[in-house]
Amino acid sequence: MATLPAVEKPPAALADTPAAKPRTGFRKHWHLYAAISPFYLLFLAFGLIPVGFSLYLSFHRWDGLGSMEWAGLAQYQYLLTDSDFWQSIGNTIVIWALATFPMIFIAMVAAVMLNSAVRFKNVYRFAYFLPNVTSIVAVAIIFGSVFSTNFGLMNALLQAVGLDQVAWLNTPWGIKVAIATLMTWQWTGYNAIIFLAGLQTIPSDLYEAARIDGAGPVQTFFRVTLPLMRPVLLFVLVVSTVTGLQSFAEPQVLLQTTANESTFSGGPDHAGRTMVLYFFQQTFDNNDFGYGAAVAWGIFLVVVLFSIINWRLVRRRGEA
Amino acid sequence: MRLSRRGLLRAGLAGTAATALGGLASGCAVPTGSTGRNMVLWYWSGGLSDTVVKEARARYDDVVTLKAQQIGGYYRPKLITTMAGRAHIPDIAGLKGEDMASYLPNADQFVDLRTLGADKLKGQYLDWKWQQAVAPDGSLIGFPIDVGPVVQYYQPAVYDKAGLPSEPDDVSREMDTWEKFFAAGEQLKKRIPGTYILTDVGSVFEMSIGQGTTRFVDRDRHFIGDGEHVRTCWDRAVEAKRRGIVSNIVTGTPDSISATEKGHLPSQLNASWAAGDLKLQYPKTEGNWRVADCPGGPSNVGGSFLSITKACREPERAFEIIAWMLNADNQAQGFVEAGLFPSTPASYGMKKLREPDPFFGDQITMDVYGPAAEKIPVAYNSPYDVALGQPIRDEIKNVGVLGKDPEKAWSDAMSKCRRIADHLGVSR
Repeated sequence: MATLPAVEKPPAALADTPAAKPRTGFRKHWHLYAAISPFYLLFLAFGLIPVGFSLYLSFHRWDGLGSMEWAGLAQYQYLLTDSDFWQSIGNTIVIWALATFPMIFIAMVAAVMLNSAVRFKNVYRFAYFLPNVTSIVAVAIIFGSVFSTNFGLMNALLQAVGLDQVAWLNTPWGIKVAIATLMTWQWTGYNAIIFLAGLQTIPSDLYEAARIDGAGPVQTFFRVTLPLMRPVLLFVLVVSTVTGLQSFAEPQVLLQTTANESTFSGGPDHAGRTMVLYFFQQTFDNNDFGYGAAVAWGIFLVVVLFSIINWRLVRRRGEA
Repeated sequence: MRLSRRGLLRAGLAGTAATALGGLASGCAVPTGSTGRNMVLWYWSGGLSDTVVKEARARYDDVVTLKAQQIGGYYRPKLITTMAGRAHIPDIAGLKGEDMASYLPNADQFVDLRTLGADKLKGQYLDWKWQQAVAPDGSLIGFPIDVGPVVQYYQPAVYDKAGLPSEPDDVSREMDTWEKFFAAGEQLKKRIPGTYILTDVGSVFEMSIGQGTTRFVDRDRHFIGDGEHVRTCWDRAVEAKRRGIVSNIVTGTPDSISATEKGHLPSQLNASWAAGDLKLQYPKTEGNWRVADCPGGPSNVGGSFLSITKACREPERAFEIIAWMLNADNQAQGFVEAGLFPSTPASYGMKKLREPDPFFGDQITMDVYGPAAEKIPVAYNSPYDVALGQPIRDEIKNVGVLGKDPEKAWSDAMSKCRRIADHLGVSR
């Protein structure tokens, strides 16, 4: 936005005359600023101010209705020693990893297949994208059935190949796998479409050159496709990090319990309690808005950290 | 058509204005009460009888325009944020029973209903329910909508097959203590293998807590969740697990639905409003259920209130409307229509509440609910109860589901509670 006025610099001769000088920058281009202002004004009102307020809030104790009480760094001190918070970070990362790596692999395979498919291309694209626009609550309810112990599809499959039943929603690892599977199912198609877009930007003469040089399909994939897809891979990884680390509705609906219990507790041993679920529980179950705000900033830092790590990893491999 | 720059600009500004205005307008009606004509009422789906709301609107039409709005999603955060934002606050707001304690420290945000003559109506409502809406300073901030007396829902055919009593009166009498109920559970499991009297241990713990007069934090802000009264409830739940009368099934999954339909989970300890869930979830089992007393005595889960916020310009009128909507006749309507169990004992004798219920084999269920509702003990509910009860509930679940060692689970719960108590400024 700040670079906009620079495009239309007055000619040097005019700029030298004192009369023309004041009409630069904002006053000259105010109508352009006005035209783009809706987004920025709305962002300020509904984005930036609440974010600032949550920072302010995290230094207070507040039950949401009464008066705020200054708490200094107490909320953050408690946060650092809060084993529940650390557990929720661990849960989130494990679920994220369980969901993301299979997802990227499947999405890449799907995209390569889509790229070489000739018929019904649009049908496939639509089908892949569909899971992503399905209501997450509906999906979670279906997955609740898939993973139920006695009559679930998953255990029926396991038993069909002669394995034992797994109490998916009753064991700490089962819960994580169930949530991760749900997320993989939901995001694979979306990422496949993005990979596909990336694949289509690779010039076909590179492939021709590879073929002439005698490279097989596998070699072509690892030597031509993958290096050129690195920026797309980075994008997918960062986006899935940001969304995966904020997972909330999936465990919440999948592990919905009876009326006597908190819907945010994340199942037995809190195995499915992600960071955002923990934030929600602290804020709205316990009415502890100050601590909730501190948890939210903790989550923010974790997400930033992870995005940086991701970015670094993908970039370094690119430079090597 | 080509848009000129000026036209584009105009369109942009108009868009901004429309967005801003739209945001305000859709927020919630007209600035509250400012015209003296509008009266905004917030409640949640199923929180009030739709018929009663409609009748109230017609009845008071000449003096106010009652705008009854059902608020979807998580109700309390929406109410709290609106109140904290100090704009578009509803005149009349529903307060959920389980949240009631958290509103009490901020009684100054609500109109003290005593100043509007609520005391004159006190005798018509269940005393324990009334007490739940009394703030520490003595003011009354909520007017009782409904209560949730806990009963034992059971399938008589299964009990019969296991040689247990199956008539409601007999079940109520012969399973009136937890010990007898557990023994019945053992007999059930022995006679019909694979059948469990309890789906999970949580209900034993929860209902037991509700049967007492003390909970997790007392009036002086002391943590008492480590006391004998909680430990007894804990041990009782552990005992149920030890005796093997608790299933491994997760509530709400196809497993539990199928097991319930097949009679493998023939009983549930739950509040009166759960009858609606049973009817909805297991329509095929109509006629196969009965209602009996909860073992160990009456308990309560849920049940809500209506309040008048400080933003209301005409509290007298608002109170008139509330008192009418929640009188004994209309509460009876709420029960018939939405399963809201009346907080007015006078309703219990009414003819339309004494209709035989075909889902429960034409049993007159009021005979069980009514006396239970009147005998629920008065317990002090602290605003910190949720935060300090949760670790104990979580750990009893770990014992029930994961088979965690009960002693380890208890000490884990206690150390977590102590930490949270320190953080919240609750002494121990």
